[in-house]
Amino acid sequence: AVVVEGYESGDITERINKFKVATKLYQDDKEHLFEAKATDDQVKLLNLQTTLERDTAHTFLDLTISETISKLLILGHGNRAAKVKADFKVPEKRFWWLKVKALVQSSNWDGLEKF
Amino acid sequence: MQAAGVFSTGAVKDHARQELIDLLDSVRGKKGLVIDPSLSGPLSLVAEFTLLKEHGVEKIYHLAPGKLDTDCKSLIYICRPKVGHVKCIAGHIQTHSQHGVKISYSIFFVPRRSLICERVLEEEGVFGDVIVGEYHLDLLPLEDDLLSLELDSAFRELYLEGDTTAIFCMAKALMKLQTMFGLIPRIVGKGQYARSLADLLLRMRHEVLASAEDEEASAKIFPGFSEIDAMVVIDRTVDLITPMSTQLTYEGLIDEVFGIRSTFVELDPSMIGGPSAVPSGGSSTAHTPAAATKAKKVPLNSSDRLFAQLRDLNFAVVGGLLSQVARRIHEDYEGRHQARTVTQIKDFIGKLGNLQAEHQSLKLHTGIAEEVTKYTRDKDFNSMLEVQQNFVAGIISKPHIDYIEELIDKQTPLVQTLRLLSLYSLVDGGLKTKQYENFRRDIIQTYGHEHILTLQNLARVGILRKQDTSRHVYPQIRKAFRLIVDDVNEHQPNDISYVYSGYAPISVRLVQAACQKGVGGGSTTWEKSVAGPAPVGWKGWEEPMRLLPGPTFEEVQRTGDTRVVAKVKPKQKVTLIVFLGGCTFTEVSALRFLSQQDEGHREFIIATTNMISGSSMLKSLMANFSRAPLNP
Repeated sequence: AVVVEGYESGDITERINKFKVATKLYQDDKEHLFEAKATDDQVKLLNLQTTLERDTAHTFLDLTISETISKLLILGHGNRAAKVKADFKVPEKRFWWLKVKALVQSSNWDGLEKF
Repeated sequence: MQAAGVFSTGAVKDHARQELIDLLDSVRGKKGLVIDPSLSGPLSLVAEFTLLKEHGVEKIYHLAPGKLDTDCKSLIYICRPKVGHVKCIAGHIQTHSQHGVKISYSIFFVPRRSLICERVLEEEGVFGDVIVGEYHLDLLPLEDDLLSLELDSAFRELYLEGDTTAIFCMAKALMKLQTMFGLIPRIVGKGQYARSLADLLLRMRHEVLASAEDEEASAKIFPGFSEIDAMVVIDRTVDLITPMSTQLTYEGLIDEVFGIRSTFVELDPSMIGGPSAVPSGGSSTAHTPAAATKAKKVPLNSSDRLFAQLRDLNFAVVGGLLSQVARRIHEDYEGRHQARTVTQIKDFIGKLGNLQAEHQSLKLHTGIAEEVTKYTRDKDFNSMLEVQQNFVAGIISKPHIDYIEELIDKQTPLVQTLRLLSLYSLVDGGLKTKQYENFRRDIIQTYGHEHILTLQNLARVGILRKQDTSRHVYPQIRKAFRLIVDDVNEHQPNDISYVYSGYAPISVRLVQAACQKGVGGGSTTWEKSVAGPAPVGWKGWEEPMRLLPGPTFEEVQRTGDTRVVAKVKPKQKVTLIVFLGGCTFTEVSALRFLSQQDEGHREFIIATTNMISGSSMLKSLMANFSRAPLNP
């Protein structure tokens, strides 16, 4: 329920705070460790996206982890994409799928060839 | 009235229509009608616009928040008893009174009022300004053999939220049917909520009889005959596998591709070769994008004879049939050259109207079939279907699991991914711990964090979950009910499994077990094994029934009235199949197939809370909340 409240708020600080509360609540219950981890990750993601927006002048907020990686790859920020992959333990296989799709989308045929 | 008592869904429709007329006439003079958008489909099945007009309706509005500008002196609201709707109506009334507009208001709740809604009206301070009534629009005839409550979110409400309003609605509607067509002597069923429905029905009957003034009055409540010989109640949770599979009948695929709502499908006009409104001459700019993309609402029902012929067939045979029909129509048109005498010409002209209607319908279905073919020829569709068919056949191997993973990696729409993953979980008794963790992580990372709620919902209703200690029974169910049929013949089906090209829906196998006693292919196996018609029930199926979740039950309703007793044995038995939590078009087709196959001994009528597909069911379970746009 706190998660929903978080989504109902358009204010980034408030949403992060709500998610932090939600993470605590989920942690109290052994059955909900997955949700706790996911919500904690979401806080990390929102913070990261704020930084990315400042650094790249593109919108990132509200994208999912995979979408964030895709966008970074399309924009040519390969290193940052790799960092997101490492931070959130994104499996290798998915990362490569995202990379192929990004290369196609940005018509980077040289990149595809090298792939 | 229905003195003859021959069961027909038409009588149900007439009933609903008359009640609507009475309701409209209860407000004098010219009026505006404000309709809950979720009811506009159902209402259009009951009454056409001209009927509303004849009874003083000048304007029709869709219920929406905000201001309602109208010059009508009275407004009639028809809506579901939802708090949101009532707040919206209260808003209208408040703005009107602020602007000094005097209007008289009536609200009719469908199918009945609720205390909460009346409380909201009180709190908003408008309770005194409105007349509150009920419009008992419950079971709607979508077809001659198909009744639906059209409660879109029935599955979610019943199994996720534990809100049993839908059961109550069904019970009330079935009571109404029993007062029209007689008490149903046998009620059998499977599943927790099926049991609740039967209990509720038995209790309601006692209450009705007890409230009658004297014995004579109570004897008149139910007619002295039973038009329906038995009722089989099926709880959707007994068979979750069927909706997760892709429907392969013509109507089922139309539902999968476009979505059918209250018998209507919305199509791109260019697709069906309808009268293209774009003038060919003149400037090319006449073609406005808004007009071009505006979807056309097309009704799909058996008054379209071609559709009636096609709807229940496996899609594989639809193309061939369409071209046959095209050839015949062409020949009929050519018939005009043979016309030599004036009488012959007259004859031809007489047929022309029919021919043109047929031609129109052929155009429509060729258009739809072409579009569906694009979908079924798609490589991804076929890979997905192959994995599905392996799963239901009990063949689960690593490449299949990897395929689901790939769906996520390729960012395939979430509903499709979930459908296959859920099917996997259902046939394999849940996911292994490690797998469950990984799939959940992948879904969250790819489709968004908010889906932790979607995943929780799916786990709660048991569609997608972690393996636990409970037995893994699907293989036994598959064998006991002969779900997989290898020699399926789509052209000349001899078994219901044709609707999924080789998989027979569990739900319909249950109906066969109860009514035909056998789930064999042809009708021969069971006809031989059963001497004389056995009563509808689970006899002989006690063991396999235990494999499925929820209680199995049989109830007998005795009328306790001597004058009853079946007068003349009707030639054809009518059996009512009730689905709680929705049924799919393929299940309807499979039941129709049984009606025909059983040499016309037994006809099946279906009553469901709503029509579903795996996708609409999963969508109703997804996290849904208003999400604010995020500002940095």
